[in-house]
Amino acid sequence: MPVTNQALAGGYQLLNYRVDRQISRGGFSIVYRAFDEEGVPVAIKEYLPSSLVLRTEGDIVRASSAENLTSFRYGMKCFFEEGRALAKINHPNVVRVLNFFRANETVYMVMRYERGRTLQQHIQMRQDQMSERLVRHVFMHLLNGLREVHTHKLLHLDIKPANIYLRTDGSPVLLDFGAARQTLTSARPKLAPMYTPGFAAPEQYREPDRLGPWTDVYGVGASMFACLAAFAPQAADARVSEDHLVSAKKIWAGQYSDNILEVIDWCLRLDPLERPQSVFALQKAIRDIPPIKRKLGFFGSLKKMLFSEIGA
Amino acid sequence: MRFTIFQESRKGSRKTNQDRIAYTYSRDTLLLVVADGMGGHAGGEIAAQIAARLFIERFQQEAKPILKNPLKFLQDTMLRAHAALGSYANQFSMLETPRTTCVACIVQAGHAYWCHVGDSRLYLFRQGGLIGATKDHSKVQYLVDQGIIGAGEVAAHPDRNKIFSCLGGLVDPVIDLSRRTPLRNGDVLVLCTDGLWSVMDQHEISTWLTSTPILTTAPQMMREGEKRGGPEGDNLSAIVVRWGPETLTDEQTTTVTESLGIGDFETQIERTLTLTDRKGTQRDLTDDEIEHAIEEIQSTIQKYRR
Ligand SMILES: Nc1ncnc2c1ncn2[C@@H]1O[C@H](COP(=O)(O)OP(=O)(O)O)[C@@H](O)[C@H]1O
Ligand SMILES: [Mg+2]
Repeated sequence: MPVTNQALAGGYQLLNYRVDRQISRGGFSIVYRAFDEEGVPVAIKEYLPSSLVLRTEGDIVRASSAENLTSFRYGMKCFFEEGRALAKINHPNVVRVLNFFRANETVYMVMRYERGRTLQQHIQMRQDQMSERLVRHVFMHLLNGLREVHTHKLLHLDIKPANIYLRTDGSPVLLDFGAARQTLTSARPKLAPMYTPGFAAPEQYREPDRLGPWTDVYGVGASMFACLAAFAPQAADARVSEDHLVSAKKIWAGQYSDNILEVIDWCLRLDPLERPQSVFALQKAIRDIPPIKRKLGFFGSLKKMLFSEIGA
Repeated sequence: MRFTIFQESRKGSRKTNQDRIAYTYSRDTLLLVVADGMGGHAGGEIAAQIAARLFIERFQQEAKPILKNPLKFLQDTMLRAHAALGSYANQFSMLETPRTTCVACIVQAGHAYWCHVGDSRLYLFRQGGLIGATKDHSKVQYLVDQGIIGAGEVAAHPDRNKIFSCLGGLVDPVIDLSRRTPLRNGDVLVLCTDGLWSVMDQHEISTWLTSTPILTTAPQMMREGEKRGGPEGDNLSAIVVRWGPETLTDEQTTTVTESLGIGDFETQIERTLTLTDRKGTQRDLTDDEIEHAIEEIQSTIQKYRR
């Protein structure tokens, strides 16, 4: 008996979308590339938790027992949360949801297809270290997206390089709101936490009532750390008992500006209160880094002037 | 809707706090309510509580997610609260009906509507100037209207506590309704009890709350008000709403209501009122709920489509 769920086959017609191929398979879902009637590529996320074997052949998802069905339906709530969260966010640095529907006894989320690769892949494929310029570029834009997410009283709670997508033009897109909960509105989170070691903040392990913007800030700091190190920082639960994390300022002194290294260390503070308390505060800290001195041509300085006018 | 909201009730120097304040909002409509239980009468605290609770409960029944007729909602709820106080007194064979003042405000589709009974007040400030206010149902206000005393003499007048309209009174309440008043970003709504307005005039209140992040200055204003009340100080309460996204502070203080689902409410009640949580409990989803969730997400996608 097969032990994994079967993905939909290439060419499968799903509502008005034609499935092209599977892009990724995760704990909760399978992501496909597909095309709509006009041939525009889309990414479709199919809710199909890997812990429940529900489809060994064909397309229909079938629960083998009542208990199985209950778990399946219960987990669906997270998927709806993700859809709800993303549907109302329309921001260039946050993945765009185009449609949401029910079929094959499960649910699907259709997203704008982004060309590029995840920051995780980017880190792994590079031979040399990422430049400060690129790190700053990626995170400044990403933080604009995250700020919009927080404005909607949502926390992402799973910020890590695998959930940050880099378009071919270098602009970042925040993906995977599977862990997002509306925790900013209610005193206590409604669903069990989900986290990735190394990128999850300590409060995600033990103090769910202390989640806040600073929790995503930790994930951002850990992701920046990973860009420099090409590996994740020590997991926060281990850090709480014995902190072996060497500060970024020590590891990369002289290779990156003091400011960016200080920002990383600031985001990675174990005490939530000692981190930047909002994305805005973090952005301000990153902006404060004096720009690397370069001779700018006339257009360069004009552009810079314009941006500083528009910026903030 | 986007707004910044503050509410606080302070006891002053009294043994009990008979003020009740609360707000609740659905995705598209906001309700604010302030009630000041009348201490000289039996159960002022109960009266204020019943009135505030009735507003919240009726709102959650009717705002789905908007009210059909906000002014009618306000007026009906005042009348029902008045009736509820009467039947409460009957039920417990009270000699006197519990009484309270009440001011309530609805904001919906960018317009404010308000309604009051007694001397709890609403002020609407725009760029520091007063552009809307309630007029107390009080003896001194009557004297002002007749030109017998000046507005400046109200707060210190010996009869300033005498009001001729309240909920739970022997005669039916006089209920004043506002017009439908368009709001602009940056407008500040203040609902307060006499504990605040009697120690601080409207100009000063406006100064505290104009061009400053209200979440910082409103608490300072309340502390100052309590201090001024001195050893005889009355309970003082206020709800302050700054309409539109907060632009005066680094912090994320703006309430964004679009994150609420249809049928969801966020409610904040200052002090002992408790309401049951209407949100779903932890169980698996029915087919209907799945269909409903999908419909809702689809309509949100449509709404936010550029
Ligand atoms: N809109 C998209 N465009 C292109 N690729 C995507 C898109 N959404 C997801 N992916 C790909 O699918 C992977 C998994 O998606 P994600 O939303 O993180 O789901 P999971 O819950 O399985 O982690 C991503 O790492 C990315 O490679
Ligand atoms: Mg992921």
